[in-house]
Amino acid sequence: MATIQIAGKNIEVDEDGYLVNLEDWSEEVANSLAASEQVEMSPNHWEVVNFLREYYQEYKIAPMIRILTKEIGKKLGKDKGNTKYLYELYPGGPAKQACKIAGLPKPTGCV
Amino acid sequence: MATPGKKMAPRDNGAPDYKKYLHPLMVKNYGKWKYYEKVKPGVLKHVAHSGDVLYTVRAGSPRTLSVDTIRKVCDLADKHCQGFLRFTTRCNIEFQVTSAEAVEPLIKDINEILGFPVGGTGNSISNIIHTQGWMHCNLPGTDAAGSVKALMDTLYEDFINERLPQRVRISASCCQINCGGQSDIAINLQHHHPPKINHANMQICELPKTVAICPVAAIRPATVDGKDSLMVVDEKCMYCGACHGQCPSMEIRDPQTDSLAIWVGGKTASTRGGPSFMKLATFGLPNNPPRWPEVGDAVKKILDAYKESAKPYERIGEWIDRIGWKRFFEMTGFKFTKYHIDTYRYARTTYNMSTQVRL
Amino acid sequence: MGKKWKIKTSTPKLDELEKGPWPSFIKELKTLAERKPAVEHLLGQMEQSYETNTNYWTGTVLNLDGYGGGVIARYSDLAKKFPEVAQFHTIRVIEPSAFVYSTKALRELCDVSENHSAGILQLHGMTGDILMLGSTNESMHTAGEALMEKGWDIGGSGGALRTLACCIGPARCEMACYDTLEVTKRITDTYISQLHRPDLPYKFKFKLSGCANDCANSMQRSDMPIIGTWRDNIQVDHAEVAAFIAEHGVDFVVDNVITRCPTKCITLKNKKIEIDDKNCVHCMHCINVMHKALAPGKDKGVTILLGGKRTLKIGDTMGSVLVPFMKMETEEDNEKLIDLIARIWEFWGENGMEHERVGEFIERVGLGTFLEGVGIEPDPQMVKHPRTNSYIKFEEYTKPLMAGEASKSPLVTNKEVEGKETA
Ligand code: HEM
Ligand code: SF4
Ligand code: SF4
Ligand code: SF4
Ligand code: SF4
Repeated sequence: MATIQIAGKNIEVDEDGYLVNLEDWSEEVANSLAASEQVEMSPNHWEVVNFLREYYQEYKIAPMIRILTKEIGKKLGKDKGNTKYLYELYPGGPAKQACKIAGLPKPTGCV
Repeated sequence: MATPGKKMAPRDNGAPDYKKYLHPLMVKNYGKWKYYEKVKPGVLKHVAHSGDVLYTVRAGSPRTLSVDTIRKVCDLADKHCQGFLRFTTRCNIEFQVTSAEAVEPLIKDINEILGFPVGGTGNSISNIIHTQGWMHCNLPGTDAAGSVKALMDTLYEDFINERLPQRVRISASCCQINCGGQSDIAINLQHHHPPKINHANMQICELPKTVAICPVAAIRPATVDGKDSLMVVDEKCMYCGACHGQCPSMEIRDPQTDSLAIWVGGKTASTRGGPSFMKLATFGLPNNPPRWPEVGDAVKKILDAYKESAKPYERIGEWIDRIGWKRFFEMTGFKFTKYHIDTYRYARTTYNMSTQVRL
Repeated sequence: MGKKWKIKTSTPKLDELEKGPWPSFIKELKTLAERKPAVEHLLGQMEQSYETNTNYWTGTVLNLDGYGGGVIARYSDLAKKFPEVAQFHTIRVIEPSAFVYSTKALRELCDVSENHSAGILQLHGMTGDILMLGSTNESMHTAGEALMEKGWDIGGSGGALRTLACCIGPARCEMACYDTLEVTKRITDTYISQLHRPDLPYKFKFKLSGCANDCANSMQRSDMPIIGTWRDNIQVDHAEVAAFIAEHGVDFVVDNVITRCPTKCITLKNKKIEIDDKNCVHCMHCINVMHKALAPGKDKGVTILLGGKRTLKIGDTMGSVLVPFMKMETEEDNEKLIDLIARIWEFWGENGMEHERVGEFIERVGLGTFLEGVGIEPDPQMVKHPRTNSYIKFEEYTKPLMAGEASKSPLVTNKEVEGKETA
């Protein structure tokens, strides 16, 4: 397990860079995780991350992709409520990259 | 050159254009084949309405191939088959030639250069389909590839001959997800106790998803050492391992107790009585690498009984339907136990609800 | 090409699998181990598995940019001992319909495999895909790039549409009742984004067989088996029938053809075969036995089934009939199929739970509800027989729905409240 330094704090991450302790998440941490993924966080990126976090806090799971695309469609416009747009924002994929930046658990199942 | 993180636009190329990969006679006679004949085990002759004739030579392969071997396969196809070839659903390689004289030299090269046997057609045992095992999956309790290799050595003569009552298809799977599929005979791994939970890891998982995946609702949230985790109600758990696929910290495997079971009578074709699921024949075979001899012995018992009493065109399941399970257990010597009686959904529909018994 | 590497790892257990007449996958790996350090370490790790009956791979999630499927990522638990397989990922490459290749195409795959991964190809995965084993976090990107440059594509892992698979069909089989190869390619290309950027509740597999012999193993290994059939009469060549009877004898024909027909619709009269085609269920048996004399009819099409899957959770399921017959020849026929798929995915996508295969979904909501949801009329061909229990939930209890009356919107236990799902 590796450690990264963000704003003077030591933060544990796993071999793929996901947070080990989900409480460690902060906006700074998100920005830094995004930078390591070469993702530049725009307001639209934040919409996705914020929704993922809200959903996770309520249900303790990441939303199904359809729920995410619908929500983004509502917030950012219908043309953006699809996986194509999500992959434009997060080329590494909403389940993997966006969840990582949002400080959600790594999707561990084989799907 | 792409590096991780570099934004590479997805290409969406789609499926390769199969039309470029068809043998010229396949292109010419596409959809216009008239009939086929069996020339000899492993060799088929397809005749088109145009009068064209295409000979197919089927070779067994280990599925996992080095590029070196694939290049040799290509050399053979270049030399004999105008640069085209195909694979079957069961991982055999099919080489095609256009004249009867070309068949034997091709077979000679397949045997000598590749070291692959020719067969797998008609009433034979074709290549066994199997799953990843210890070479690449994250869930296996055994190595399907290894037991399959050992078993094909045992059944070799039935691959290169067509001497069975009907075709026999075999599969092997390395966990209870059973990626191997329905077959006349299947060798599958069996777990024997509930998952052992690694509570230290559970906080990094989406716990509700693991709870939801259990088909018998045996998983419950729990607090262990002051932290969120899960517990399993042992009496409910049926050791299926679904939770293990979702969460690696629900360890279902156990090198000490995992064992192998053999299932019979599966069929996917809708011919005659239609498709059928396979049923438990015997269980508790040791997971015994590198050659799993007990598996070979059990499969041979089934095949010996089948050869002895099946009628032509009867698949294993149809043969058992006719002679009855009582006779099947007598002939194979497997013991029928209470564990052969279904306990899951629809169990009762599998009981004999008639007075039709063989006495 | 890597330099010559001396094999240091001893593998006494695996060596046992080099013996015997059947071609050995261990030999294949050993050939590569001479120049691929990763394969030597793979053998080392496997040898340890063979000693301890323990698996040493941990799954993780990695993808190429823009793809949500296509890489099956594995880290070794024995990375300290076998660092060369610390990262050892498989790329799922979409195979050509019916697994046909030119040697040029296969050599291309070999070159990518040699240069960007371990030089191991599995032809093919049970799903039907080409499996290219042994990339690292770095080299999976260069491998993917190299593949795509040459026109190959990847995809189909995780909760995605899987690579399709089909039988040899019209390319070399006289039994084929539709163009399995073309329909396979069309569905793949039309729905390629579901292989790459899926938004389905769970995986979805198509397998296509040209006739009921089902050489693609579709019935039980795919969510949607598409199987060729015909709706006119079996074509009978009476001269060939006579030749067959002359060669095999009347008894053989009675024992192996007449009495084996599931609906007993063939009779033998004066050494001539008569088929009651209205009762033929297109099982292919008689045609298989007398393949020179009999052939599928001329008015061909497909039967579409839905809901097959393997064991996990609810146990094995077969596909069951969704569309008893559909033509599959013209552009329009193809579009109908594409549209049907879209309707199924829409309904299942909206109402299915995460990790719920379409067969499980149908089992939960009932086939009747499902049919309404996708807009298909119930048909007696969809069941073995009508229900035997009287516990019927008529939708309007004051006014039981009469057969043929217009139906209401589907009664699905819908978990969805304004875009939010309860866990
Ligand atoms: C839980 C994690 C899972 C993993 C890691 C996994 C892995 C795999 C792998 C590696 C293969 C290819 C096997 C080969 O060709 O060597 C495969 C195929 C297959 N898997 Fe899974 N699988 C998983 C879940 C499932 C589930 C949940 C089901 C069914 C309910 C399933 C059913 C199948 C079937 C039927 C095949 C054969 C595919 C075909 O015939 O098209 N798998 N899986
Ligand atoms: S049967 Fe189980 S262990 Fe084997 S490949 Fe399939 S999921 Fe993996
Ligand atoms: S092994 Fe199967 S039955 Fe047991 S807890 Fe896990 S999912 Fe439930
Ligand atoms: S499924 Fe039918 S059409 Fe396809 S290859 Fe098999 S016999 Fe031929
Ligand atoms: S195809 Fe099957 S059902 Fe039809 S006549 Fe032949 S044996 Fe009977």
